[in-house]
Amino acid sequence: MTFGLGHVLVLTAFLFGAGLIGALTRKSAITVFLSVELMLNSVNLLLLGLGRHLGQMEGALFAFFVLAVSAAEAAVGVAIVVAFIRRQGTTNIDAANLMKW
Amino acid sequence: MLSAAVFFGVALLAFAGALTLVFHRNPVVAVLGMAVAMVGLGVLYMLLAVPFLGLFLMIVYAGAVMVILLYVIMALGLQEEGPPVGTAQTVLTYAAAALFIAHLYRLTREAVPALFGPVESAFGTIQAFGHLLVSRYAVPFEVASLLLVGAMVGAIVLSRREWT
Repeated sequence: MTFGLGHVLVLTAFLFGAGLIGALTRKSAITVFLSVELMLNSVNLLLLGLGRHLGQMEGALFAFFVLAVSAAEAAVGVAIVVAFIRRQGTTNIDAANLMKW
Repeated sequence: MLSAAVFFGVALLAFAGALTLVFHRNPVVAVLGMAVAMVGLGVLYMLLAVPFLGLFLMIVYAGAVMVILLYVIMALGLQEEGPPVGTAQTVLTYAAAALFIAHLYRLTREAVPALFGPVESAFGTIQAFGHLLVSRYAVPFEVASLLLVGAMVGAIVLSRREWT
């Protein structure tokens, strides 16, 4: 027995679900950031699995672009987290309430 | 046979890393869980016949992003977080995640053939990938490089103390 697209899809669903739970129920800005990265990478896995299934390189190409965008997002995200911690003295995202009404 | 064993082992490893990332309260352990998850995902990329992208993932995440996050956490001396979010939000989030997983699982049972077929020999090589990247997808490639430059400038602006 070897593995197939179904296994990849189910693993993707579990990783994305874990990332969703982390992004929406945790209060540490670092954990929320990491969870978003996890969701991005689970979608990459989906793209690669579908590309492998269809025998086309486009899945890998889109995963490559997602990887580039998430690298850019990581750089800016870490800078935002650092600026936020400097300003508020905490990583609790409840402190980010300036634009909330 | 071997690839199936590797797949399930690495899938479990990646999921364990993801759970550590999501649920551990110490940020240092969470970042190390992310590194484990990314190494597992990188091996999965290799099993899906795109080996160099798996290497990219390991270098970018298990290398660069992990180091920069550990540096930030340790330099700023971050501690654990405050009280958890409200019950309604927690319940709704878990329900959404469970619904998503169940839906994708149902789709998988209905519409997907069980196993991957063989691939042609050129699939997933760095030559085929690079050829596509400079021919049909040249414009998105250039836009991605512009985005990376913009992100770099943005990160520098955000990190300067007198500008924030």
